[in-house]
Amino acid sequence: MGTQTCARCGHKMVSRDFGSLQRVWAFWIMGLMCYVPANTYPMLQTRTLFQSDESTIVGGAVELAQHGAFGIAFIILLASVAIPLAKFWAIAFLAVSVKSRRATANHSRQIMYEVVEYIGRWSMIDIFVVAILSSLVQLNTLASINPGPASMFFALSVIFTMLSAQAFDSRMIWDEQAKDEDPS
Amino acid sequence: MTDTPPDVSIKSARKLFLSGASIVWIIPLLALFVALGVAWNSFNARGPQIFVEFEKGSGIKAGETELRFRDVTVGRVEEVGFSAGLGKVVATIRVDKDVAQFIDNSAAFWIIQPEVSAQGITGLSTVLSGVYIEGSWNEEIGDFEDRFVGADSAPLIRAGQTGLQIAFRTVGNGHLTDDAPILYRGIEVGRLGKAQIAPRGNFAIVEALIYDDHRDLVNTSTRFWDSSGFRLSIGPSGAEVDFESIATLIGGGVTFDTFVSGGDRVQDGTVFEIFPTKEEARSAVFNASAVDPLKLSVIFDENVSGLAVGAPVELSGLTIGEVESLSGIVDYNQFGDSRVRLNVTLSLQPARLGLPGAVSATSALAFLQDRVSNGLRARLASASLLTGGLKVELVTVADAPDAQLVAVDDALPVMPTTKNETSDAAATVEGVFSRINNLPIEELLNSAIGLMNSAQMLIGSDEIQQTPRDVRTLINEVTGLVSSDSVRNIPVSLNATLSRVETLVATLEQEQMAKRLMEAVDAVSGAADAFSTSTEGVPELIAEMQTVAAKAGEIELQQLVDEMTAVTRSADAVIGTPDAIALPGSLKNALDELNYTLQELREGGAVENVNQTLASARNAADNIAVSAKDLPQIVDRLSALFDQASRTIEGYNQGDQISRTAQNTLRDIQKAADALASLARTIERNPNSLLLGR
Repeated sequence: MGTQTCARCGHKMVSRDFGSLQRVWAFWIMGLMCYVPANTYPMLQTRTLFQSDESTIVGGAVELAQHGAFGIAFIILLASVAIPLAKFWAIAFLAVSVKSRRATANHSRQIMYEVVEYIGRWSMIDIFVVAILSSLVQLNTLASINPGPASMFFALSVIFTMLSAQAFDSRMIWDEQAKDEDPS
Repeated sequence: MTDTPPDVSIKSARKLFLSGASIVWIIPLLALFVALGVAWNSFNARGPQIFVEFEKGSGIKAGETELRFRDVTVGRVEEVGFSAGLGKVVATIRVDKDVAQFIDNSAAFWIIQPEVSAQGITGLSTVLSGVYIEGSWNEEIGDFEDRFVGADSAPLIRAGQTGLQIAFRTVGNGHLTDDAPILYRGIEVGRLGKAQIAPRGNFAIVEALIYDDHRDLVNTSTRFWDSSGFRLSIGPSGAEVDFESIATLIGGGVTFDTFVSGGDRVQDGTVFEIFPTKEEARSAVFNASAVDPLKLSVIFDENVSGLAVGAPVELSGLTIGEVESLSGIVDYNQFGDSRVRLNVTLSLQPARLGLPGAVSATSALAFLQDRVSNGLRARLASASLLTGGLKVELVTVADAPDAQLVAVDDALPVMPTTKNETSDAAATVEGVFSRINNLPIEELLNSAIGLMNSAQMLIGSDEIQQTPRDVRTLINEVTGLVSSDSVRNIPVSLNATLSRVETLVATLEQEQMAKRLMEAVDAVSGAADAFSTSTEGVPELIAEMQTVAAKAGEIELQQLVDEMTAVTRSADAVIGTPDAIALPGSLKNALDELNYTLQELREGGAVENVNQTLASARNAADNIAVSAKDLPQIVDRLSALFDQASRTIEGYNQGDQISRTAQNTLRDIQKAADALASLARTIERNPNSLLLGR
């Protein structure tokens, strides 16, 4: 019994990818590991003629809020803190719920999975902003903005969570239901 | 035979640990190792903390302010806080691990911030970058310490820096400035530290460092003095303002010199005294000289007052010692009479002679003995003209009688003497007065009185006083002249003349001057046409004109002016006398006469005639204005004429024939010119002929 391949795309066809959950957890842990330094190290290094300033993600948002820019602070907190944390929670929840019976409806879990996958790439907007700022503000000694070490960790964290979400085999959501319906 | 195969016992294979694990787990494990490794590494490389206390923060910032050693960053302030009780500021500094081991009890810390002082501006770089903490410690590994007290300012002698460490002491109101430079011949060779009052309070002391390169300049006989400020001295050589440099003028400084030879090497910690001036430093060399002074005795024949104990002894102008004691001496056996002589004991400093080799009294004596046999003698000289003080001078006399400097028995060696050179101020002043006395002042006064008498007699003579009276007579005569009949008749004649002028002008109007003028211009134009073919006669014409001008110039104007000036002077001389007051009366008479004459003029109708004449003249002027309208035409013609002339001159070189023709023409012109000249002469003789057309 050879391995079947898809006639259209040549992809290996498997009924169930049993290594899926392990990959999900592995990438999930990696993402979480990267998320810690992403918040403790400075995200941006702003250097002007007289002083240099380093700010972390949360610190920068708090500073903005102190200056009265609540809107921007809220967006930053939402995009850089709330959404990644929600993603971690969502992926973990999905992976756990596959194993254990849950009251949550399968369909809503499917929607959750799709939302996580969709939203994953948008977390890169932070990195995008940092990249644009640091390439725009390079006035030699007068002023310069450089990405801090946190930007790299944040990017890694986003990448690993995306990988983690992709590694999740959504068919497993429905396997439970199949077991329920086919007890024989 | 049907054998059934034996039952195969199936046992579930023992599941290997991690057999089902995906390879993807390697990634988080790897990351974990890396993270742990990095964390351990950074923890391991982290140096120890030290705590430095400062009086004030001075801009130290946690996380920013650096600790530098030889201007290289070796640490960073992690925290700024207060010591218990807020007494001091404590900076917690994380020091690099490889440097930390050198930080022992030799370490000193101070804050570098911008500072402007008379010595210059320091720490300028910290204006932008913010302050930093400079540390200094030696290059030996010692027991690590982590608590230090920071200094207020940079220490004078940094650990590891070499140089001669000395201290200065000053008793007077010294002018020791912190961080002032030590200059030698204008070059900075060292630096002062912070001045402090000695524990007992009887002097100020300051640490100083002579840089390693220059430590040989200082020996035990070196004397230091204060070079700050400026010194103004007025002496025999004139006024003198003396200061080292602008920097020391403002900021103070110390300079030094070694006046005498033979000092020993200076050890670290030697204390020197700072003298207020160079002179005091120089003279202080004696007081502290380690060498015994050479004592000599001098016996002066004359007992001149003015020499005192402490008076300088000079050799070639250089002070080499002083008078130690004075006494009288009477010794019939030695001198052959019983006169009191002046016995002076000199104390000479061998070091000041600058002898080579070992400096001692013996070597100095040997040197002086040699010089005495060559004519070196002692004499008294004036030290000061004003005070009459004396000094002892050692001078070389060319043809001195033979003498030796020898010690008899255990008495002091006796220095032979020569004629004193004391210039007595009192004697000099007396000389001046006697010279003034001898001046022939009385004769001079007599001559002056005689001169004045003569002048008075001259002024008082009758002839001089008579002069104004003569002038009055002269004016009376003038008055008589004006009042004479012939003068009174002048208006009548004038009247007649004016009538004739009027007639003449009227005639002029009738003769239509303008037309005639036009014709004349035409004629001249024609003549000029002829004239234009040549240029030969022109120079002659010009020459004649020059002659005329020269004659005009020869008129003796200058002579006239001179005569006028002479007259004016004479008049001035006359007016000065008292009799001139009588003049106005005569003048009034003359004016009255003049007035009367003018009245007559008016009565004679002269004024009316003048008016008429002026009216006629206005008419004539109107006519001339009318004829002036024709002037543009004349100008046009003239311009055409000049064009023609220029064309002619252009063609002048075209051939002989033309030139021949031109010569003929010239001759014609010459004739025409002659005719013109004769016409001019006629007009000169009878001007009316032109005006009247006859």
